[in-house]
Amino acid sequence: MSLFRIALKNILRRRLRTALTLCGVAVGIAAFVALVGFSRSFEREWLRAYQSAGTDIAVVQKTFLNTSVDVSVGAKLRALPEVADAVPMILNMMDLTPEVNALVYAWPANCYEMDALTILQGRRFQDGQPEVMLGEVLADNLGKKVGDTLELQGAPFGVVGIFRGGSAFETGAALLPLGELQKLADLGDKVSAFHVHLRPAPAGESEQQYVQRARARIEAALPGLKAVPAGERARNNQLATLARSTAWGTSLIALLIGALGIANTMAMSVFERTREIGVLRALGWRRWRVMELILMEAAMLGFTGGVLGIFGGLAALRVLSLLPATASIAQASIPVLHAVEALVIAVLIGLVAGLVPALRGARLSPVEALRYE
Amino acid sequence: MSECLLEARALTRSYDGGRIQALRGVDLQVRAGEFLSISGPSGSGKSTLLQLLGGLEGPSSGEILFKGRSFADFFDLDAYRAREVGFVFQAFHLLPTLRVVENVQIPMFEGPLGARQRREKAEALLVEMGLAHRLQQHPNELSAGERQRVAIARSLANDPEILLADEPTGNLDTENSAKIMAILAGIQASRNMTLIVVTHEPEIARAAERNVHIRDGRICPQ
Repeated sequence: MSLFRIALKNILRRRLRTALTLCGVAVGIAAFVALVGFSRSFEREWLRAYQSAGTDIAVVQKTFLNTSVDVSVGAKLRALPEVADAVPMILNMMDLTPEVNALVYAWPANCYEMDALTILQGRRFQDGQPEVMLGEVLADNLGKKVGDTLELQGAPFGVVGIFRGGSAFETGAALLPLGELQKLADLGDKVSAFHVHLRPAPAGESEQQYVQRARARIEAALPGLKAVPAGERARNNQLATLARSTAWGTSLIALLIGALGIANTMAMSVFERTREIGVLRALGWRRWRVMELILMEAAMLGFTGGVLGIFGGLAALRVLSLLPATASIAQASIPVLHAVEALVIAVLIGLVAGLVPALRGARLSPVEALRYE
Repeated sequence: MSECLLEARALTRSYDGGRIQALRGVDLQVRAGEFLSISGPSGSGKSTLLQLLGGLEGPSSGEILFKGRSFADFFDLDAYRAREVGFVFQAFHLLPTLRVVENVQIPMFEGPLGARQRREKAEALLVEMGLAHRLQQHPNELSAGERQRVAIARSLANDPEILLADEPTGNLDTENSAKIMAILAGIQASRNMTLIVVTHEPEIARAAERNVHIRDGRICPQ
């Protein structure tokens, strides 16, 4: 018989209470897996979108106001020696139908980013025309094909192409000519950002050093704007930051509730087993061994709740990946590291929640505990 | 005469801020291999004395010596309880979720044995107690007499030098009481252990080699 077996028997003693506690932990961990997983997949896809197109730097307003960079900045950017190309772009979420909300990109038709897309049906849009290209997932969600019309803010746009992008973002997005979206949203010559594709790094200079040098030169040439390397932009853009803080905030609340559930269960369990703990102490068990037993029980609750929560979170992500509104961003799988992280958090929650009951159990006087009725 | 194994000197124990005086200056010497009974009416302090001798709690004043070494100066009382002393309680105090063979292994967690050795030793002790057919059962499936035999097997788990039994027959009928006392006396004789039994039953007190009688927290002169 091992300590593990004793702990297991103790937590199975009150099965309903244990099951309810596990549900609490599982909900917290499921929220963590689904929400944080969702926000991370958001960042990952954002980065993949940059990487697949070859974007090295995004140039945005220092104040991070959306659609506030003037299109004339492009000429100054292209004049810099490190810059191979600079593409003005607008990116925003838009309600395409009452049910489907999707990312909408607006680019010039001949930009380098367009070259990274695979046209599955139809063709590229033409600048100056009310035309739209749809990512294959979005087209599927909308039930649209080439030749159909999509109404955007009351204006009809002809669907001219279905494409597959380098990231799930693009595959679930709509793509419009830049000028058409500026006209539609009354933006004048303003864009969200410029995506910059750099020339190859000179020999002897690392990619990272080169990007940092180009960044410094862009910022020196364009006061009021900032140049953000693609990886940083993927992590720290407004949407990613909002998604991450919302995910962590909501998860932490759910995890706190799960922790309180374990703390309550362990406190009740120690209270009910006062005399048994007294017996263990009377038979020579040291205080730390009593603590070890109680903490092991709490950690087992955390671990089991964590495993259930991971499956729950995966189920939630699966649902999100099927819903039209979120299908473009959510992925039904999570990286192994994220699952390990969730399990570690679950066990830590168990240990922290079990600490006070464990200390209480360990401090019991054997004589008083044996007298306890 | 055997050496003095356990000694109490001017032992007092009070509770509730001194309002209750359970022991009022007890001096007692227990020899190695001795069968000692401690008798007295309810509330006389006999169980308190046993608890102090067993290291379950400390005295308010006075001292206890084991093999000449004072508890206060030398002892890790957890280790003392685990290695030197075996307890048998009136209420058995078996853990209800564990099987019989698992209950006997509990004290061995503080010993050097691995899981398999613990199990083998627990089985051997239970066989010795005539409980070979009860190894896998839970305490609530056993009779009172059988439970006390499990508790005795558990008390022997770490081969202690001293066996402390607090009213071991208090919850048993006459037949089982006789059996349990015979087992305890047999263990004491065969293993040359020191057996201290707290009892209020005159027959058990008489069966011991020596009896001390306690009244109002003091040992009465014989």
